[in-house]
Amino acid sequence: MNFDLSQVALIGLGYLLLLFGIAYITERGWIPDSITSHPITYILSLGIFASAWAFYGVVDLAFQYGYGALAYYLGTGALFLFAPVALAPLAELARRHQVHSLADLLVFRYHSHAVGALTTLCMLCGILPLMALQIQAIADTMHILTVSANPTLPNDESGITFKAMMALSYCVILALFTISFGANREQHKGLITAMAFESLLKVCALLAIGLLSVFGVFGGLDGLDQWLMDHPENLALLHQPIHTDSAHTLLLVFVATAVTMPHIFHLGLAENPLMRNSHTVTWAFPLFLLLMAIPIFPILWAGADLSVNLPPQYYTLGVPILYSSPGLTLLAFVGGLSAATGAMVVISLALSTMVMNHLLLPSLKLRTKDDLYSQLLWIRRILIAAIFLGGYLFYWILNNQYSLTNLAMTAFIETLQFLPGTFAIVFWSQGSRRGMIIGLSVGTFIWALGLLLPMLTGINSISLGLIDAVIPVGPNYWSEVTLISVGLNTLCFLAFSLLSKKTSDEEYSADLCAADELSHPVRQALDVHSAADFKTRLAKPLGKVTASREVDNALRELKFSINERRPYALRRLRDQIEGNLSSLMGIHLASEIMDKSIPFHTAESRNTVDINLIENRLTQYRDHLTGMAAELNNLRLYHRKTLEELPMAVCSLGRDMEVLMWNRAMANLTRTPSEVVTGSYLEDIPEPWCSLLIDFSRSRETHFYRREIELEGRPHWISLHKAAIEGPIAEGVFDQVMLLEDVTETELLEQELAHSERLASVGRLAAGVAHEIGNPITGIACLAQNLRYESESPEVLDTANQILSQTDRVGRIVQSLVSFSHAGHASKSEFAPVSLRDCASEAIQLLSLQKDKRQVLFANDIPANAIIAGDYQRIIQIFINLLSNARDASPDQGRVMLESNEDENSVTVTVTDEGTGIPPGINR
Amino acid sequence: MNNARLVILLLLIAYIFSPTLLSWILDPEGAWYRPFIAWILVILLAFVMQIKRKNYHEFD
Repeated sequence: MNFDLSQVALIGLGYLLLLFGIAYITERGWIPDSITSHPITYILSLGIFASAWAFYGVVDLAFQYGYGALAYYLGTGALFLFAPVALAPLAELARRHQVHSLADLLVFRYHSHAVGALTTLCMLCGILPLMALQIQAIADTMHILTVSANPTLPNDESGITFKAMMALSYCVILALFTISFGANREQHKGLITAMAFESLLKVCALLAIGLLSVFGVFGGLDGLDQWLMDHPENLALLHQPIHTDSAHTLLLVFVATAVTMPHIFHLGLAENPLMRNSHTVTWAFPLFLLLMAIPIFPILWAGADLSVNLPPQYYTLGVPILYSSPGLTLLAFVGGLSAATGAMVVISLALSTMVMNHLLLPSLKLRTKDDLYSQLLWIRRILIAAIFLGGYLFYWILNNQYSLTNLAMTAFIETLQFLPGTFAIVFWSQGSRRGMIIGLSVGTFIWALGLLLPMLTGINSISLGLIDAVIPVGPNYWSEVTLISVGLNTLCFLAFSLLSKKTSDEEYSADLCAADELSHPVRQALDVHSAADFKTRLAKPLGKVTASREVDNALRELKFSINERRPYALRRLRDQIEGNLSSLMGIHLASEIMDKSIPFHTAESRNTVDINLIENRLTQYRDHLTGMAAELNNLRLYHRKTLEELPMAVCSLGRDMEVLMWNRAMANLTRTPSEVVTGSYLEDIPEPWCSLLIDFSRSRETHFYRREIELEGRPHWISLHKAAIEGPIAEGVFDQVMLLEDVTETELLEQELAHSERLASVGRLAAGVAHEIGNPITGIACLAQNLRYESESPEVLDTANQILSQTDRVGRIVQSLVSFSHAGHASKSEFAPVSLRDCASEAIQLLSLQKDKRQVLFANDIPANAIIAGDYQRIIQIFINLLSNARDASPDQGRVMLESNEDENSVTVTVTDEGTGIPPGINR
Repeated sequence: MNNARLVILLLLIAYIFSPTLLSWILDPEGAWYRPFIAWILVILLAFVMQIKRKNYHEFD
């Protein structure tokens, strides 16, 4: 079977277009979120782990090592099976500190730029063989499909061959696609969806070839069993090599791939929300690997049975060709193309980020006046092209001399060198930067000497001049190279870590990364006072436009406004900007820019704990807490709720006057919600609370009684109490808790009470006065009566009568006053029949004595027969209250009418005035 | 922390049965796909654990 070159090229190009089309329409939002955000999509996107080597080369590995080949899947599978323990801490770190590559993570952990540069350099050397592998696989398979009618590989040729041209054009097309699409850091969702599709296609293709092998070539599982019985050497091949040492080393080689391979880190840890939120990956990814692994042995045996005239690494393609199935042949080719493409694209993206962040940007001076983004974008584009070119050159130099397995092993063994340093990120806080650098250098040196150099130069032994010994090197000795390089690497790492002294920065970073992190997020002070200040500060290193855009982005992500002044919010803003910048230009440069432009004050830094941040984190991790931690968190929530719902206003302040807590009653009292105040300095809260609380917090007194403040135009009285809380880290550092009590009601009641007390004493005085007046009046009345008997003169008699009636009137008034002042002493037993009309008249009489008040006309229309059982004086008091209110509300010379209705058991009295009524504002 | 006993039990079972399991898997007389069966069992176990975990969290 032979395909036309144009057909194959067209199919390949069409497939690439489809892949990038999927990424494009995902970014456009044309594919529903339920698909692009589905866990299966994420799991499948992790499938880029299985590159062209897993599609073609593993068959060769199975041929050489039997079951040992499964180590490739088992190592990674086990890592994902235990993802919650092994990978989740790394993913969490990556998310929290916006880390996008292993180099970033190592830089963050070891706090050293040299680590980043060295990691990038070693990674570059290590990954080039893997890229060459993908290119070689594509070039070979295209050659098999188009040139050789009977599928064979061409003899070794040199110079620019047909294959080299095909490889070059593949690289160029892929580079163009990657540059046009992937260089922009925003488009990760499209990438993930495209990679998921790529994985789906290759697993389907591989399964199809596997099914073809079992059911097409052998006629079913029984046929396969029969064939194996007939050819027992194949079964022996399965078991025999496991018992050699190399098979065990294989497991070691593959165990680290999930973490240390840049493309898998890029998609698995840095971009993948799955690792943090769900345990689905623990079984779903091993399942994916299982599906990739099952067809391997049947394909190997089918290839043997059909006597495919190709090395075992291309049996996946050879089997359908010899079975004369053009459809499946093309499917196999596209599957391989897919696998290679996925790996190449993500590798080039991940590597370009690493090279840019750790090798280029630290030494390059960006022109901040121009658009920073486009500069970075262009650097990235050029780097992607350079990496593709590097991969191609490596492939070209090797000139097809090595099998895919050789290339893969070379790459994997180098990435294995990162294992000690990576392991120590989370699990060994003693690991130091010096240990890491020396260990990695030693390991990489041995690897380069044992595998890379022999591959490039063709030497197969190194002679040591001094002791006259010759050490054999080259891909055949991969097992020894692995053991020696990783062994020495680990040894150096351990020894130098234990021996060297770490700086405090390094120790701090190590503690931050440790898995059993009991980190105290220290509350550090910033010397910026508003979000707008960030723009001015950042304008210098980033340029005005970029700074403004970055600050706006961060504000939007945090849902803060530009007027934000709370120190807590500003600290979060700083972290967010640093994170965003680190995804733009790497963690090292980002932290350098931020440290220079917006530094933390270190003076008081280690003394105050950022309670707000701890709470924030605990709220986020609530679902992840188990056992004792979850119990403690529930306890915390309970206490927090207790304080929150306490029916008294409570707030607590940090030592630097930052508001740490503000409960609901406090929010009600101050009419300022907690979200606005928490995290701000006291001086930023609204008046009058600001000055009151500042005075109180500075005062030596622990209580302020009845401070008068004005709220909404009315006076309020507040009592304050406070206590000191010892800070959680440092002894002798005190936060404050304050309790505010609104005593306005009590104060008003007391004022009223004092007023009526005053009135009562005036009443008693009046009664005394009345009594004193009564005696002379009685005297006057007696004299007037005597006068009537002593004179006949009508004038004198008239005068005497006048005097008598006036004294009578005075006597009545005095009597009313006296009896009114005695009111309140009557008990229920003194209830007697009372005429309401008389009571009302008496009250009207008393009220008319107050000449200084407004004069109104009282109309007493209560019928004389309205008689109830009651206390005469108290009922008068009731009428006085009612009528004086009515009088106060009435206009001058207004009318106040008294009426009554009675039924069997009660009499209802109504007082009607002509006033305006109670204004709605007071009616509360 | 609350399932430490379960882990110890599992380790014990794994320790006791691992030689038998390994020799069964790698038995040259047996079917070639035996390692894959063990693999599927592990996946099922992980799946069941995830489902249980989900239920546990729903009642939270």
